[in-house]
Amino acid sequence: MKKFLGKVLTILWKDILSELRTRDIVVSVLVFALLVIVIFNFAFEPERVGLVAAGILWVALTFAGVLGLSRSFVLEKDKDCLEGLMLCPVDREVIYFGKMLGSLTFILVVAVIVLPIFFILFNLPIFRPELVLIVVLATIGFASVGTLFSALAVNTKAREIMLPILFFPIVAPVIIAAVKATGLVFAGESWSSLSSWLQIMAAFDIIFLVVSSLVFEFIVEE
Amino acid sequence: MKERGVMRSNSLLGLSFLLMVAALYLVFVYVPTEKEMGIVQRIFYLMVPMGWLALLSFLIVFIGSILYLRKRESRWDILAHSSAEVGIVFTTLALITGAIWAKPIWGVWWTWEPRLTATLVLWLIYLAYLMVRSFATEESRGARFAAVVGIIGFIDIPIVALATTLWRGMHPGAVIFEGGLAPSMLLTLLVSIAAFTALYFCLLGRRIGLREVEAEIKKLSQD
Amino acid sequence: MENLGYLFAAFTIVWAVIFGYVFSLSRRQRHLWRELDSLKETMRGKGQD
Repeated sequence: MKKFLGKVLTILWKDILSELRTRDIVVSVLVFALLVIVIFNFAFEPERVGLVAAGILWVALTFAGVLGLSRSFVLEKDKDCLEGLMLCPVDREVIYFGKMLGSLTFILVVAVIVLPIFFILFNLPIFRPELVLIVVLATIGFASVGTLFSALAVNTKAREIMLPILFFPIVAPVIIAAVKATGLVFAGESWSSLSSWLQIMAAFDIIFLVVSSLVFEFIVEE
Repeated sequence: MKERGVMRSNSLLGLSFLLMVAALYLVFVYVPTEKEMGIVQRIFYLMVPMGWLALLSFLIVFIGSILYLRKRESRWDILAHSSAEVGIVFTTLALITGAIWAKPIWGVWWTWEPRLTATLVLWLIYLAYLMVRSFATEESRGARFAAVVGIIGFIDIPIVALATTLWRGMHPGAVIFEGGLAPSMLLTLLVSIAAFTALYFCLLGRRIGLREVEAEIKKLSQD
Repeated sequence: MENLGYLFAAFTIVWAVIFGYVFSLSRRQRHLWRELDSLKETMRGKGQD
């Protein structure tokens, strides 16, 4: 078990290191998220914006997440890193979890930066701890299925369109739950009203972490 | 061998024809008109079978996908692919009949109520499955990737159904039936479902047959 | 008896789509069988050389 964790963390560390060097992914994803938020503000009447704030936040995070996921695998494929990774005598599940944690970390970093800016732009009460849980659960959901699908999409003839088409329908319950829960938090509700949404997200996360890790090997085999 | 196959498919065709006639009789002659919704309610006997087949087809896709990944025999891939194709036809019909139902009953062509929304998501999952195959670099890869989508997609469906139901809640307009189903309606519904299921298997069989011919051609042309 | 039009539309569309699909399958089948036959002809021709 310890060795498993060690290998996973090694892969994670490699991704983090290469990202720290170039800051490629985090910067582009961050800028994109902010652009989405600003543009959505133009799309709605100022009085209405408060009502749809939760939705705007999650549209921004979802699209930014897809961008981050695709970039992390495109870089791998272009530099043939993926083949190098395949040559290592490790279980495919190790590679999956390593990449998954990498994507998870990037999206979380982006969320941490985006959220305060979001609060300022939308004039919302600053910080509720419930939000942390919602964001973490949703992001795990995104990363679990997203890692699998971006590895798939990168190996097709139409990368840019394949990932969204695969990702969005599958992840729809997570988006629904996240938006609903966030909306409740913004409206001042307490933990109990959130519970069913949190349960859905948690169930999604567990189920798809397990299934994706099992199925990952079929994507990357040669 | 081929003789038996043709005989079986013909008897299945005959069976579904008989069931279809029975269903038509039940839907248009036997069943009493529903009080609140009037005659339009009979679309129900089209809508439910379509929704049922959309799910059944994907179940077959799921089973075919798992078996293909396990055994790597092309016949499982053929099963999954064919069921996905027939399935998206029925899912599209489920959406269309759902919309035709919605207009006279609720006044709008589309509403984001749980069942319609979940069906739309299912339609998108079918689309993703078929697109993965056309955009794959080689056929074997396409089959493998599609199988993965089939598995993940199927597991996702109940979660989507749960989330959309919770999301919209049960507001009065969305409830299809208050109270239970009268026995005559239940009979009509079941026969309709049976008739369309038989039709599904006919179509599935034909599609699989076509695929097998394609595979044979490919094998021959390689020699 | 209002809304009869909707009922008619629903049944018609369902059958139109199903028939359309069967029709396209039949067309593909004919095309494939022709291809299969011509392939078998060429193979028989080759076999005799």
